[in-house]
Amino acid sequence: MLKDFHSNTKNIRNFSIIAHIDHGKSTIADRLLEYTGTISERERKEQILDDMDLEREKGITIKSKAVRLHYRAKDGNEYVLNLIDTPGHVDFSYEVSRSLAACEGALLIVDASQGVQAQTLANIHLAVKNNLKIIIIINKIDLATADTEKVNQELKNIPELKEEEVILASAKEGIGTSDILEAIVNKIPPPSGELNLPLRALIFDSIYNPYQGTIVYVKVVDGIIKPGIIIQTMSNEKKYEVAEVGVFRPNMEPTKKLIAGEVGYIKAGFKNIKDTQVGDTITDASNPARKSLSGYKKVTPLVFCSIYPIDNKEYENLKAALEKLKLNDSSLFSEPETSQALGFGFRCGFLGLLHMEIIQERLEREYDLNLIATTPSVMYQIAKKDGKTIKISNPASFPSKIEIEKIEEPYVKVNIITPSQYIGGIMDLVQDRRGTFKNMEYIDEKRAILDYDLPLNEIILDFYDKLKSRSSGYASLDYEFISYKQSDLIKVDILANHELVDALSFIVHKDKAYYRARKIVEKLKEIIPRQLYQVPIQAAIERKIIARETIKALKKDVIAKCYGGDITRKRKLLEKQKAGKKRMKRLGKVEIPQEAFLGILKIE
Amino acid sequence: MDLGLYLHLPFCKSKCHYCDFNSYPLRDDYQLSSYISALYSEIAIYSQKLKNITIKTIYLGGGTPSILSGDSIYNILNFCKNSFKIDKNAEITIEVNPGTLDKKKTKRLNEAGINRLSLGAQSFNDSLLKKLGRIHTAQDIIDSYYKARESGFNNINIDIMFALPDQTLIDFRNTMKKAISLKLDHLSLYNLTIEKGTIFFESFKEGKLNLPTEDEEYDMYSWAINFLEKNGFEHYEISNFARPSKRSIHNQIYWYNQPYLGIGAGACSFINRYRYMNFKDPSRYIKEVENGKLPVDKGEKLSLRKRMAETVILNLRTKEGVVYQKFYNRFKVKMDEIFNQQVDKLVGLGLLRKDNYKIQLTKKGLFIANNVFREFVD
Repeated sequence: MLKDFHSNTKNIRNFSIIAHIDHGKSTIADRLLEYTGTISERERKEQILDDMDLEREKGITIKSKAVRLHYRAKDGNEYVLNLIDTPGHVDFSYEVSRSLAACEGALLIVDASQGVQAQTLANIHLAVKNNLKIIIIINKIDLATADTEKVNQELKNIPELKEEEVILASAKEGIGTSDILEAIVNKIPPPSGELNLPLRALIFDSIYNPYQGTIVYVKVVDGIIKPGIIIQTMSNEKKYEVAEVGVFRPNMEPTKKLIAGEVGYIKAGFKNIKDTQVGDTITDASNPARKSLSGYKKVTPLVFCSIYPIDNKEYENLKAALEKLKLNDSSLFSEPETSQALGFGFRCGFLGLLHMEIIQERLEREYDLNLIATTPSVMYQIAKKDGKTIKISNPASFPSKIEIEKIEEPYVKVNIITPSQYIGGIMDLVQDRRGTFKNMEYIDEKRAILDYDLPLNEIILDFYDKLKSRSSGYASLDYEFISYKQSDLIKVDILANHELVDALSFIVHKDKAYYRARKIVEKLKEIIPRQLYQVPIQAAIERKIIARETIKALKKDVIAKCYGGDITRKRKLLEKQKAGKKRMKRLGKVEIPQEAFLGILKIE
Repeated sequence: MDLGLYLHLPFCKSKCHYCDFNSYPLRDDYQLSSYISALYSEIAIYSQKLKNITIKTIYLGGGTPSILSGDSIYNILNFCKNSFKIDKNAEITIEVNPGTLDKKKTKRLNEAGINRLSLGAQSFNDSLLKKLGRIHTAQDIIDSYYKARESGFNNINIDIMFALPDQTLIDFRNTMKKAISLKLDHLSLYNLTIEKGTIFFESFKEGKLNLPTEDEEYDMYSWAINFLEKNGFEHYEISNFARPSKRSIHNQIYWYNQPYLGIGAGACSFINRYRYMNFKDPSRYIKEVENGKLPVDKGEKLSLRKRMAETVILNLRTKEGVVYQKFYNRFKVKMDEIFNQQVDKLVGLGLLRKDNYKIQLTKKGLFIANNVFREFVD
């Protein structure tokens, strides 16, 4: 007999936790789970909601999850609190916004030492946009470096938060947990859905399970969903019969139904994760809603790179690994690609840099692959003289100059929060990256927020590292895509021994082409070892050479001493060197080490 | 079976800055005498195990074998003669450190039957000698050399190193000219390499070692080859030069990949397709021998493929190169059938020269021989 927990939405509270990275989101979640007895101390690992290894390591939440807490409030009533955990990084801002759309309130966590950061602001804006009630929590107040008063003042200076009360907490020490729970019950409104309207449920996440197919996480906004009914996704009108519905405690637990206001899961024989996109609306096929819930959009990758196995024999393994990752990640894009230099591989698209980094690491770590990932790039829109418009992310497919009418590149709006003494250095950096200054405001007497428009291409490589180093680690960054803008871009090719190395071509603003080309050939000269022949390294625009370095021929490389005791050792040394050479990519007569494809664009 | 015999004496007065050999600063006389006793025991064990062998050459290496007294060396060699059958014309070499030789000792070495001397000179530049951590001066080399000549040694080698920190081509030429003025019989010329576990390695890591560039190394080496050939030396192995009939017979055993027996701590042997090494640590070595065991630490039985590859690589180090007939006599298979592809490729690259009888390194191949050798290993 399945339990029927309630039928009263008055006692439901749906909320998220939002925070800048490392401000303590997952630890707060753990305390709430423990306090409400959802999970015992013994069961808990450090961060319960983050179960991927990488998540725990990077201290971020990648996939959002939901947990249902039962809480008896001080008013004596029993409440159902649905905590929807959200990804904590800007790359996943669409997923965050859909998770927030499933809530009526949000806990905003701010670190008592670090104060308001770029993603704090971004999260506040998202929460306000979704009409959420915000509960402010200053966390880590137990730390010696905490300055609660200052952080409180920073928060009061944010117009949207002026009126809000602040809860002081230390998730580590368990301080403030009951205050937070009371605030959730008393301040966040119950969901306002209509039981009697046709079913509308918002998909805010989905996971793939090899035995059960795709399981979608939903918030039921209107109506009721229960096993046996036929549902359909409103964006693509695919129909499914509901096999099971249930809630998270925190493991999946089946229930008889999910009603308006509730958060839970649906199993309905969804085959492909791509058919149940985050943000889409599920309705009753026999009594469909007329309008889907607002806010749905197809996620499009922003950052691209090519991934090749170092050993071509691993191509099939790479292919299988990418397929597996895509089962659980509808925002990951990949398609087969061939490079003259690198052989068979894939062009992949990601939500952002962190997403790319996570995928690369998972491929190498979980699937034990040795990969070459090319320099990341963005998607360009090129209007050709023949009237066609093409989108390209791979420099290899860049058309020749005479075919191009105009080129557009994606721009992002960037917010940087920094202590004021670093403003000068940061402005230089942003200027150098073709940034357009928009605005500057002081959060308090010591910190400012800078507002710039920048080509995405300029920040995907090493902008974040540079920003951190110019601000002694204090500046924080947030960005979002705004639009495509016309730019004067050209492709620079790299030739080794007069042969094009397609994987090293790059697209760059015209004004920077010569400088970059020069730096890159210099760097390649350092990285590529001497070969049997002299090897010219050249950079070219449309076959016109704009930079050249020469790697001199190998002159001397011979083991001097070789007597009785040396023979085994020397043979093993030669064997090792030979194995090392196999890991280099051979292009024509030239052997190029992997790192040439990785780091060369990371230059001053 | 003909064998070369190597005896290792791992003690030195102090450790040189570049040295990664199995050598240790000598603590006291007791350490030395217990080590010598162990050598006797190991020789005794092998004299029981290896019947029907003839020792063609003996080589006393180190460390610094000349740190031993003349009598000790005499007695060790005498014991070898009693334990093994030794060819009456055997070449018997000892490595000598210029700081450790006097007239009495040279005389005794001569009486012990030693007929070849190898002087670890390294350089004739005193400031470079100091940098290397050598305990002698340029004058000590010259003095030792003449003492040896006076005692009747007519086959003397000196070791010279190049590509030293702060060394210029001019420094090096001066050293070579001084060496040649001594009317040597043989010269070994080694490119300095920075090995782990040495003082130089530590300085190198800290960026404190001003080493010549690859181009400068090339210039030194190629100048030296020309210079020595002009002065009547035959360049018979990558690092070795000899007057006519003064090649090192013992070392040729290594390059022709022939069997040898190594005795002493860390010594290597190559017998019956096994190449193995004794324990390096002298105390461990002594302990094993005292327990009546062969002090072997590790070894491998070489597969046919490895023996063929090693033979090719080692032979290519020599002026003669790989002689097809010899290869066939040894392995009963034609070298062409095994290494056809590699040889053609390397001939195409101009690194090997091939005729109807043999293959050899070309001049170009000599300087970058590792690129040739790598082709033959797995």
